[in-house]
Amino acid sequence: MARIELNGIQKRWGEVWGVRDVNIDIADEEFLVLLGPSGCGKTTTMRMIAGLEEPTEGEIVMDGEMMNDIDPRDRDVAMVFQGYALYPNMTIYENIRFPLRMRGVPRAQQDAHVRRAAGLVEMTDYLDRKPGALSGGQRQRAALARAIVREPQVFLMDEPLSNLDAKLRQAMRVQIKHIQRELRITTVYVTHDQIEAMTLADRIVIMQSGLIQQIGTPDEIYNDPANTFVANFIGSPPMNLIEGEVAGGVFTAPGVKVPGMPAAVSGKVTLGVRPEDCHVTENDINLTGEVYGVEPTGDVTYLTLQAGEKLFEIKADRTYRAPLGATENVRFDADRIYLFDGETGERLR
Amino acid sequence: MASQRRKRGENLVIRYLILGAWALFCLMPVLWFLSIGLRPRVEIITPQPIYWPTFSLDAWHMIWEDWPMAKYLRNSILAIFGSVLIDLVLGIPAAYSLARYQYRGRDDIAFYILSTRMMAPAIVAIPIFFLFRNAGLLDTIWALMLIYAAINLSFVTWIIRSYMLDIPKELEDAARTDGASDLRILWEIIIPAILPGIITASVIAMIFAINEFLFTLLIASTPNAYTMSVALANFTGGSDGVIYNAIALVAFLAFVPVFLVVVAIQKHLSRGLTMGAVKGG
Repeated sequence: MARIELNGIQKRWGEVWGVRDVNIDIADEEFLVLLGPSGCGKTTTMRMIAGLEEPTEGEIVMDGEMMNDIDPRDRDVAMVFQGYALYPNMTIYENIRFPLRMRGVPRAQQDAHVRRAAGLVEMTDYLDRKPGALSGGQRQRAALARAIVREPQVFLMDEPLSNLDAKLRQAMRVQIKHIQRELRITTVYVTHDQIEAMTLADRIVIMQSGLIQQIGTPDEIYNDPANTFVANFIGSPPMNLIEGEVAGGVFTAPGVKVPGMPAAVSGKVTLGVRPEDCHVTENDINLTGEVYGVEPTGDVTYLTLQAGEKLFEIKADRTYRAPLGATENVRFDADRIYLFDGETGERLR
Repeated sequence: MASQRRKRGENLVIRYLILGAWALFCLMPVLWFLSIGLRPRVEIITPQPIYWPTFSLDAWHMIWEDWPMAKYLRNSILAIFGSVLIDLVLGIPAAYSLARYQYRGRDDIAFYILSTRMMAPAIVAIPIFFLFRNAGLLDTIWALMLIYAAINLSFVTWIIRSYMLDIPKELEDAARTDGASDLRILWEIIIPAILPGIITASVIAMIFAINEFLFTLLIASTPNAYTMSVALANFTGGSDGVIYNAIALVAFLAFVPVFLVVVAIQKHLSRGLTMGAVKGG
């Protein structure tokens, strides 16, 4: 089992920064998700753990052992790739067996390992097929089997589900989490999909421009965002971020008025409130706007209001309906309001 | 319905007619060779057109009985296969290095390799003659193998490299984390994946080699190392004059093995020629 420490990791290609400064302590058996938009450095960070990239600065330590100069094949990590990366000339059986062969597992034991791994991902019936004859979901499961077959110290998964359709993705998500719990292997998982991050992770690391924005459990990330980037990145639809001013304990912006601000806060402030913490009401009004759009989805109706130039997302009751252009009033849950510095975007606490 | 079906039938006939005419056009020189090669010598050099040619195996008997044609054929085959083997043994690792490793001057080196194709071969003919003479390799098949390999190595490397560039990098990353060494990756992952490219490059190298004349003539001074292409020249000089039917027949014999190889691997070849160019093709 493995504990991974990333100490002051930087990655630079000439003038181009991939990762600026990453410090993460990954616990044994933890499921850690690196989350961020494309180009944020999450995949580069993972590739450095795998040994496929060398850090420009910093240390990668596994179980107390310095890993920087160790070859990928001598690190006990297995990786699942976004494009599956199955060997096209080999059958699924040979694909899954490949890491065993490379690592000198005795021939007599190989078959049992392959069949067990294939069984875990329900691929036993497809062992004699070539990757080209399989669907996307089956290929992904085969790639997963190849990663788990030798029960490595660490799993690395680079957006493994992004090429699958929504329904399959949900099923595979559950399967990945189940397998990780069963094998109890430290896992680092890269994604730009916040739902995957929220559902899979023990802890989420949110990255942007090569820097960590916040590390925390899904609950902490969702309910206690460190800055506007995290607040906006997590949640669907995203948090409403309203730029305005606080004077005399009252926050004002076009169409918005929120009293009861902390005494210490004044000047330019960004106020954040999640769509589900906004309620259509006639009392304690915080926001007044025109109905810009109404989107019923069945279990909930998304209401978009326009006030001034800005659009606000509100999660309304599933029976909610209103004509476009109508005036609507909204109340914010007072204890679910976040304040961020108007300049830096950092949370004001 | 009926008229539609008839129309489709007519289309098909027209299509076959056009393709058949094109095939005939392409095969014309070959058929012409065959027709010359299988006629008596007198009939070929007569100025009057002949509508009912006489069939004759004179040339056939002549090339096998009066000349060591079997030996020439053997020389050709050995020199060609040997040279392709050398090209692959050297070209595949070179291509892999040029396609995958980062080092200073890599693209320049790739260009230098290709630039060996850019000069007229005659320029280096004399130096190469002395080089081989000093090495004691004149008049041997080994010399032919080396010279054919040298001529073809550059583009064999380039063709194979272009195929390697099309292989997703992820595949190698996966093999590396699975525990494979660089040589293992090359042998077990890369080479099987670019087999069509290797076959394409080999066939083109074979065709160049079988047609090579200048260096073969230079290096082979006795029938010891004569190949088919040089043997052809034997029929043009000497006291017998130009023996057209023998030339035609030998040319046909030189054509047949290449033709058969290309037919046999046609599927790989056409896939190979397009796959190198079109990503994911």
